[in-house]
Amino acid sequence: MKEKICFTLNNKYLSIDADLSMRLIDFLRDELRLTGTKEGCSQGECGACTVIIDGKTANSCLVLLGQIEGAHITTIEGLGDENNIHPIQQAFIEEGAVQCGYCIPGMVLSAKALLDKNCGPDKEYIKRAISGNLCRCTGYKKIEKAIQRASEKMKEAENDD
Amino acid sequence: MKKRGKGIGATFYGTGYGNGFPDVSNCEVELNCQGKIVVYTGATEVGQGAKTVLSQIAAEVMGVDLDSIVLVCEDTCCTPDAGTAAASRQTYNTGNGVRLACIKLKEMIKKVEENHKRVKGLPDEILTMKEIYEASRAQAIILKARDSFTACTSTMDEENGQGSPYWPYTFSCYAVEVEVDTETGRIEVLNAYCAQDVGKAINPVLIEGQIEGGFAMGMSWTLYEDLNLNQGIIKNNNFSKYIIPTSMDMPDICSIIVEDEESTGPYGAKGIGEPVMLAAMPAILNAIHDAVGIRVTKLPASPDYIVKKIQELDKSNLIERK
Ligand code: FES
Ligand code: FES
Repeated sequence: MKEKICFTLNNKYLSIDADLSMRLIDFLRDELRLTGTKEGCSQGECGACTVIIDGKTANSCLVLLGQIEGAHITTIEGLGDENNIHPIQQAFIEEGAVQCGYCIPGMVLSAKALLDKNCGPDKEYIKRAISGNLCRCTGYKKIEKAIQRASEKMKEAENDD
Repeated sequence: MKKRGKGIGATFYGTGYGNGFPDVSNCEVELNCQGKIVVYTGATEVGQGAKTVLSQIAAEVMGVDLDSIVLVCEDTCCTPDAGTAAASRQTYNTGNGVRLACIKLKEMIKKVEENHKRVKGLPDEILTMKEIYEASRAQAIILKARDSFTACTSTMDEENGQGSPYWPYTFSCYAVEVEVDTETGRIEVLNAYCAQDVGKAINPVLIEGQIEGGFAMGMSWTLYEDLNLNQGIIKNNNFSKYIIPTSMDMPDICSIIVEDEESTGPYGAKGIGEPVMLAAMPAILNAIHDAVGIRVTKLPASPDYIVKKIQELDKSNLIERK
C-alpha cells in the first residue's frame, strides 16, 4: 500500500507516495537509481549502506521508509561528483585510500558526519568514527590519513572564506 | 595479566600459475586518430591497481604522459585474454605483455615517422602522435601491434625437487609487537613493520595500500577468521560471527618497500598481491610465543584457544616443578 511521505534528500525536498515498509536502501537504489549507496551484508554489520540522517550516520539497510518522515538525508550523491568534488572525496583520491571501492561511499559519509561535528579530530576519533564501516582491502590506514587530510583541507577552506 | 612480545616472520611466494601451466597474457595496442595510445588487455581490475600500473608501463614504453594512454580491459568483445586477476600475476605477467606490445608499436611508429620525414625532406621535424597517425594513414599502415608474454616455469622434478615451478618469487619479512591478555586470551597487535620485496615499485602508493590491506587480512586470518564449517554448512555466515578487523583493531603499520629488480619483470617489477598477507601470520605467532611461551598450532588463535594453551603450559610447568 502506498502512502504519502515527505523528507529532504541531498538538499532537495521530496513529497512522494511510496510503500513505507520498504527499506531505505531499496528506495534509494531501486526507485531513485541512486546506486552509490552499496549493500554489503543487509544486516547492519558492514556499513557499506551508510547514509546520513539528520546529521547522524545510519545503516540504510535497517531503516524503513516510514521512519524518515521529515528527516534530512544525505547520500554519497549529495556530496559531489567528478566535476564538483567534495574535499573528503578529493582527499581519498590524493591519499590512495580507495581499492575496490565498495566500502568507500559509506566511509566518506562516516567521515562527513564526523567532520561536520568535529573539524579537527585526532587519530582515535577518526578510527572510532569509521569503526562501523568494514573494509576488506585497505587495512584502513590510508582511509584514516585521507580523513585527516580532508579535515585540514576543510579548515583551510574555512579560513580562506 | 598483560604480556608483550615481539616476533618476525619471513616468507617467499611464487607468483603466477606455476608448474609449467601455460601462464599467458596477451595485449594489443594501437595509435588512434586522436593521437592516444589505446591498450587492449583482458586484465581485470578488482581494486589492486592493475589499470593504473599497466597504464604506467605503457606510458613509460611509449614515452608519453599517462593522459595519453587509454586502457581498455575487462571487455571480452575486444580485449585479448590476459588470464585471471589471481596468483598475484597481473603486474608481472600482463605488465610484460603490455610492455612487449608497446615496444612493437613503438618500432612501427618510428618507421612511419622516418618515412614521413624522408618523403617530406624534413629530417628534424618533430611529429605529434596525432600527426604520426595521419602520416600512417597516408602510408596505408595500420599502427596496431599485438604481443604476448608467457611466464617461464617448469614442472618440478619429483625425484630431486629441481626446476622452476614458479617464476618469479616474492619475499617478505614482517615484524610485530603484540600484547596478550593472559586472562581473556585476547591478543592485540600493537605495531607492525612490513618489509616487502617488490622487484621495482611501479606505484609506491598502491604498494603501500596493498601491504596495509595484506597485513590486515593476514592478521585477521591469524586471529579472527573462522568459517566454522560443519558437515558442509558454514556456521559463521555473517559479520557478527565471521570476524574481520575494524579500524579499531589495526595497529600502526610501517611499510618498507625493498627494491631489487627482477630481471624478467616489466621494469624489474614483481607481483605482491598475495605475498603481502603471508608473513603477518608467522610474525604474530612468534610474538605470541615470545610473550607467553605458547606455540599456536591451529588458526585462528582465538581467545578461548589461547587461554586453553596458557593453562596447559601452566599445568605442565607445575608438574615439572613438582
Ligand atoms: S548492508 Fe547495511 S550494514 Fe551491511
Ligand atoms: S576498498 Fe575494498 S572494501 Fe574498502
